[in-house]
Amino acid sequence: MATQSIDVDRSPGRWARKYPHLGQGPVSTLPYIDPAFFEKEKARIFKKQWIYVALEREVPEIGSYKVRRLDAADTSVIIIRGKDGAIRAFHNACSHRGNTVITETGQETYGRNRAGVVTCRFHGWVYNAQGQLVNVPGEERFYSCFDKAENGLTPVHCDTWAGFIFVNVDPGPVQPLREFLGGYADHFGEFDYDACDYGFTYHTTLNCNWKVALDAFAEAYHVDTIHAGSFPNVFKPEIEDVELFGPHRTCSVRLQVENLPSTPIGDLANARSRSSLAAQSGASSLPPTLNPRGDDDWAFELSVLFPSVLVHVSEGIWFTHQFWPVAHDKTLWEGKYYLKKPTTYSELWGFERAMVLQRNAWLEDTATMEDTYRAMLSGAKTVQHLQDEEILIRHNCVVVEEMVNS
Amino acid sequence: MTHTDFAVPPGFEALVPFARWALPTADQRTRARREASGAELRAVYEGVLPHLEAILDECDRFALGELPESHQGIFNIALSMAEIAPHVEFYRDQPLVPYAFEEARFIAVHGAYETWRALPPNGPR
Repeated sequence: MATQSIDVDRSPGRWARKYPHLGQGPVSTLPYIDPAFFEKEKARIFKKQWIYVALEREVPEIGSYKVRRLDAADTSVIIIRGKDGAIRAFHNACSHRGNTVITETGQETYGRNRAGVVTCRFHGWVYNAQGQLVNVPGEERFYSCFDKAENGLTPVHCDTWAGFIFVNVDPGPVQPLREFLGGYADHFGEFDYDACDYGFTYHTTLNCNWKVALDAFAEAYHVDTIHAGSFPNVFKPEIEDVELFGPHRTCSVRLQVENLPSTPIGDLANARSRSSLAAQSGASSLPPTLNPRGDDDWAFELSVLFPSVLVHVSEGIWFTHQFWPVAHDKTLWEGKYYLKKPTTYSELWGFERAMVLQRNAWLEDTATMEDTYRAMLSGAKTVQHLQDEEILIRHNCVVVEEMVNS
Repeated sequence: MTHTDFAVPPGFEALVPFARWALPTADQRTRARREASGAELRAVYEGVLPHLEAILDECDRFALGELPESHQGIFNIALSMAEIAPHVEFYRDQPLVPYAFEEARFIAVHGAYETWRALPPNGPR
C-alpha cells in the first residue's frame, strides 16, 4: 500500500515538541549506580506496581502452576489455576516455618498437580489452589492458637490482560490492572498473542543496573553500529509513532527496505517460514492501532510495559525482553521470541535460522551493557545527553524519578 | 561416529562427509560452531548449501515430530547450516559473533532438546 507521509513530522525535535513536559536537558547517571536509589525502586516500584509474570497458556490446566522468582520484590510467587478455572497467585512461603512450598528449580518453575493442591515437602503441609491450608500432618499436636483456616498461603493481587498474567505484591489495595495499563491496553490489546504459541527463551545474568540494560534496547539509534554484523543497515535509526501511556511507552521501528539482505540461507528461511524481523511480511493481520498507515517499511512495534519489560510486536512474531533486577548492579535478562507453531520441517528449519540470527543480534545488544555500567561507576560522567530519537529512555528516567520520589 | 555409521536416505550420500555436524541439539550446534575454524565453517557451508532445499523437501514428507532415524542426520546437518550461515554470510568466516557479549553466558532454555522433535522450546512440559 502506498503511503502518504506528508502529514507525518519527521524533522529533528519532533518528539520533544510532542512531549515538552519531558524536557531536553541531560539526565543524571545517579539513579543507575546509587544502591540507595535501587532500594527505593524496590520499595516504590517493584513492590507496588503490576509486574508481568506469566502467560495464561503457561498454566493451561486445572492444577497447573508456575513459580516466578521476583528478586526485586524479595519473593517468589506461585501462579496457579484452580478447579474453578481461575488463576490466583500467592507468595511461595509456607505458614509453618516459612519454607518455599514449591521447590524452585530456577527463575521459572513449572508443574501440575491434578488434584489442584501443592504440598510443602518439608513437613507435608497441603494447600489448595485457592491458597487454603487443607492438611497438616500431626495437626492435633499444634496448640489451640493455631487454626488452619487462618493460615492459608498469603495471596498477592493477580489479574490478566490479553493472556498476560500480572501480579502486584503490595499488601494493600492497588489500582486495577486495566487502569494501570490504560491506553497501552487499547494500543496492544487486539494483537493475537495466542496465535504465536511457539516460544524460545534465552537468558543471562548481567553485572549492571536494570535500567542500563533496558535503555540499550529502547532505541534504534544503535542499529547501524551494534548490528552491523547481524542486521547491517536493516533498520532505520529513527523511530516512528511514539506514544506515551502514563508510565508506559511505545514506538515503531522501520526497515531500510532497500538494504534488506539477500543471502542464500536467509532467503531460503524467509521463503519457507515467517520468522524473521528483517523481512517484509505479506498481508497484514495487525490490529488497526499498529502500523495505522500501512507503511511497507514497518518492521515492528517496540514498547515498554513499565517497569521493566519490552514488548515487541510484528506480523506473526512477538518477543519480549524482561529485566529482573537482582541487585543494584545485577540484572537477569530474559529474551523470549514467539512464533506460530511450525507445521513442517521446512518451517522448523526456518525458525532455527531466524532464532539463531536474533540470538546473535541479542549478543550484539548485550555487549555494551556491563561496559556502560562499569564506566558510569567511575563518576567521570555524571549525566547522559539523549537525542530526540532516544525519547523512550528520557521518559523512563522521568517516570522512575517521579515514582521513587513519590 | 564414523562415516560408515552415519545413515542418510538414498540420494543424500553427499552429506556423509559432514556427519560430525549432524548435531541434534542447539547447544551442541552452537558449541561446534564456536570451536570450528573459519575455513571449516566455509567448507561446510559450501558443501551443504547445494543440497539444502532437497533436505528440507525430503523431511517435509514427514509429520513434525515423526522424523525417522534415517532422516534425522540430514535434518540435523541442515540445522547446523542455520547456525553456521551468519558466520559465512555476514561475519566474514569468523567463528564467533563479532563485537558480542560472552557467548557462553547466554543460556538457551531449549538448548538440550532434540530440535527435530518440534516440542515447545519454552514453557511447561
